[in-house]
Amino acid sequence: MELAKALTGEHIYEAGAFDVAVIGAGHAGCEAAHAAAKLGLSTVLFTLHLDAVANLPCNPSVGGTAKGQLVREIDALGGIMGIVADRCAIQMRMLNRSKGPAVFSPRAQMDRSDYSVVMKGLLEETPNLTLRQAHITDILTEDGKVAGVKTEAGGIYRARAVVLSSGTYMEARTIRGEVIVESGPDGLPRSMGLSESLKEEGIPLLRFKTGTPVRVNARSVDFSKMDIQNGEDDIPPFSFAEEMKGRKVSPVSEQIPCHSVWTTEETRKVIKDNMDRSPLYSGVITGTGPRYCPSIEDKFMRFADKERHLIFVEPMGRRTQELYLQGFSTSLPEEVQEKMVKSLPGMADAVIQRSAYAIEYDLIDPTSLKLSLESRIVEGLFSAGQVNGSSGYEEAAGQGIIAGINAAMKVLGKDPVIIDRADGYIGVLIDDLVTKGTNEPYRMMTSRAEYRLFLRQDNADRRLTPIGHKIGLVDGDRFRMFEDKISKIEEEKLRLNETYIGPSKELEEYLEPLGQTLPKSGVSLAELIKRPGVTYDGLAFVDKDRPELPSYVTKSCEVDLKYEGYLALEMGKIRKFKQLESKSLPADIDYEDVKGLRIEARQKLNAMRPENIGRASRISGVSPADCEVLLVYLEALRRSDNE
Amino acid sequence: MFAACSTPAGISGIAVIRISGNGCIEALNKIVRPVRGARGAKSLTDLEGYESLYGEIKDPDTNEVIDDVVITVFRTPHSYTGEDMAEISCHGSVAVKQEIIRLLISIGVEPAGPGQFSRTAFINGKMTLDETEAVMDVINADSKKALAAGQKIMSGALAQRIDKAESMLYEAMALIEMIVEFPEHDDTEDNEDKVKDLILKARTELQKLSDSYGMGRILSERLKIALIGIPNSGKSTLLNALSGTDKSIVTDIPGTTRDAIESNLQVRGIPVTLVDTAGITSTDDLVEKIGVERSKEVFASSDMAFILVPPNMTLEETKTRLDIPRTDVHSVVIFSKSDIGSNPEEEAIREYLSSLGVKEFISLSGKDFSNMEAMEDSIESFYNSCGNGSSEGLLITNGRHMALIGKALQFIDLAISAVNDGMGVETASSVLRAALDEMGQITGKTVSADLADTIFGRFCIGK
Repeated sequence: MELAKALTGEHIYEAGAFDVAVIGAGHAGCEAAHAAAKLGLSTVLFTLHLDAVANLPCNPSVGGTAKGQLVREIDALGGIMGIVADRCAIQMRMLNRSKGPAVFSPRAQMDRSDYSVVMKGLLEETPNLTLRQAHITDILTEDGKVAGVKTEAGGIYRARAVVLSSGTYMEARTIRGEVIVESGPDGLPRSMGLSESLKEEGIPLLRFKTGTPVRVNARSVDFSKMDIQNGEDDIPPFSFAEEMKGRKVSPVSEQIPCHSVWTTEETRKVIKDNMDRSPLYSGVITGTGPRYCPSIEDKFMRFADKERHLIFVEPMGRRTQELYLQGFSTSLPEEVQEKMVKSLPGMADAVIQRSAYAIEYDLIDPTSLKLSLESRIVEGLFSAGQVNGSSGYEEAAGQGIIAGINAAMKVLGKDPVIIDRADGYIGVLIDDLVTKGTNEPYRMMTSRAEYRLFLRQDNADRRLTPIGHKIGLVDGDRFRMFEDKISKIEEEKLRLNETYIGPSKELEEYLEPLGQTLPKSGVSLAELIKRPGVTYDGLAFVDKDRPELPSYVTKSCEVDLKYEGYLALEMGKIRKFKQLESKSLPADIDYEDVKGLRIEARQKLNAMRPENIGRASRISGVSPADCEVLLVYLEALRRSDNE
Repeated sequence: MFAACSTPAGISGIAVIRISGNGCIEALNKIVRPVRGARGAKSLTDLEGYESLYGEIKDPDTNEVIDDVVITVFRTPHSYTGEDMAEISCHGSVAVKQEIIRLLISIGVEPAGPGQFSRTAFINGKMTLDETEAVMDVINADSKKALAAGQKIMSGALAQRIDKAESMLYEAMALIEMIVEFPEHDDTEDNEDKVKDLILKARTELQKLSDSYGMGRILSERLKIALIGIPNSGKSTLLNALSGTDKSIVTDIPGTTRDAIESNLQVRGIPVTLVDTAGITSTDDLVEKIGVERSKEVFASSDMAFILVPPNMTLEETKTRLDIPRTDVHSVVIFSKSDIGSNPEEEAIREYLSSLGVKEFISLSGKDFSNMEAMEDSIESFYNSCGNGSSEGLLITNGRHMALIGKALQFIDLAISAVNDGMGVETASSVLRAALDEMGQITGKTVSADLADTIFGRFCIGK
């Protein structure tokens, strides 16, 4: 709605003026608001309910494969998810530990209520940031640019940039079998009016579906019938700053274990007998659901040959008995859910505290966005998180920090910060969403990244902290610690390359069980580390004069050396990739005039307006030859500008 | 560095292969044994711009001499593209050109992409701004030709083999992703062995492909021409006459009586596969019907077709017995057996066949070879029209395919050694992805999208 028109409405009042307004205080909104405020802009963060800031309405955990890397990246840029997760963790693990360090992924169970409280407190302490409980119903514009927002109560907040991070709340409804309720997740109020307001501005919307499983009371469950899964303490915290300060995660004895069970034949029977009551199959749900996160009935239907499925039983906090059943999401009716839960081992007497539901919601078609996460349609309007078609807290937060930074850059009149596919998972995530779009809630997976050996959790700071520091999100003290870490890594790698070890009886005794033969002559420590099974720590006995170094330095050295050859290969690909990413396409090209392009390419390019040739090449319908034509066109433009 | 053959395709006295890219002269030097150079130069690298050297191109692995050549070098920036360039004047046979291109690939020269010479020249300021559109048009036209050539190659056995290898690699990748991405779902014990097995199998398939290129089997730089006519319309006579005019070898690939008979021959140096069909005739006989269906397929898949109409064939018979579909295949109608006499209904038949898309009509006798030249002219002009084109595209496309398959094989070997060395499947996956990237440039698949589909299609995962 036009700001001027909104101001003439009834019961309207001017409630305030900010540089940046953020709608929704979920994981995307919290990061966005924190980043914008930290960069010095007056920022307001709206939420439908202040007791649900950074709510974890589904899985009570942060991290996991690809997601753990995202959390480390957010932290490396100067974000807050890692800091809050470290404070609220009740169990920590490093996934893929049995595999190589390239795919190590940190994951932690959260105390769900702590998480919300700690995040709220952290935001309240952030200078320049105002938290406000309000229901935003309209995006206000002036001359096609964003100008503010309007609340249900008639308040008009002026803003020079707006970040929309409304999650799964827009026009949401939850579904349990035949019972449909107009509600947001977790029984929270839904957001109404925003969808209409966005449509009015010409922003294309989609509708997705997702879901969450049942919660049961731990006292009604027999854990002896389940497999136990303990945490680990030999792992770094999510936060690099904390890691460099020497903070260790809690010992395993203070962590809370998880459990796992397999579904039974009875589970399968209950589901089969009640499939006609599934809204997914009866056609009640029309939104598109995620393939990677199917409901349990979906799993049994689509993978009919699989007789059983694994369910994880996760604690939701230290001060609650509530348990989350990961892998047991469903939209079947409540009475069926009862039978399903009771069919699981150890749950014959389980008491359900919250039932599972599916939720449908409106979202923005992400292909209407720029890489900066600004809308191509309404200038100054940014969006992040599930409203952009992603799934997961970490994916939301990763977009949130970028949207917050770029909203600030917009207000400051600076160029946007773009993280590309070779900089981080955040870049892969955003590029996939805005360039290819998505027809289901998008979950980050490591296989989506082309440069997985390079995009690791241990080097996220090396990839992104310089960017965070350059824009002012990472402060000087932390950056100095970071620089110190880098120089220590480089020095130590040099030393490992230049220190030679001769063959000896004790070296042979170390190498033999690893299936390695003793080198005939002197060999550098670096060469030894490259061998399978050989570790930095393991070589201590032949490397007696090694300097005292923290494990975050020695571990990085080890990974860098072990993967050296393969990393070099990826770096070669990255250089090629960066070349095309650096060829900027002016925003005002009319591709209809570029005659050498095929017609389909002209249409696609005019619609998507990619920022550079690299992104253009990833748009479906733009061929390699079209990109060659664009390179020629750019050269012609450059020359005619010079003439 | 990139190269392309810049003389028209087919067999000519000599051909010129151009190479561009700084450092290309030094690279080329590795496969040239100099005999005599300008100013007594002993090596290609001694030459200054615009100077030449006479020598032999030889395979450094086998020391086999491929051809006597003259090489002219151009030094940056004084060349067409503005980079270092070399022009190899070699003998014009397909086999020689193909071998030289294979050797160039082995020393790191890539087959030129669409319009790459013009584009490079433009980017390096060798062409004026006014020529922008012309350069874009070249890229566009070249890529269409390359696409057509690619499609031609990609139909048949080669495509099947690539598909097979590719899908095994995707399967291996998906398994690796399952292992790496969903470690909680720990029911994946023997998956690593399955991964190894799949990679090895894919490697075998690709190796076969690569070998067959070396032996020149893939290259089908042939014009496929269908001969269509009712029995006794003079097809065989014509075929014999045509092959008799050339000293080429005729190899008959016998099939069943109802199968098409293929003959490979050269017409004015152009490699041609003539397909003698059973004849497209409307019939009620079941056995014959199958043959007729085959003929239609041959017709549709040919580059060119000759339709024979003997003097005694009426307009009515042309309609009922020839049953020609409306078509885009370049079709030429031959009023055959012109030595016996002309067809009284020629005018009406012309009119009718024109309406089906036939553009050329010639009269021909197989017996006394009168006007045999007209048929050869027709083949040559069609060849040249697509030519420079379709077959050149094939040569280069083939070269590119081979280069890509070669690179894919290298990455696969690296993946195998990563697994064997205990570097973990995740490391193997990094190089397998590189291999699939290379193959994707042949098959058009993009790893990220197809991998996600493979994973979701196969595995049951999630919260």
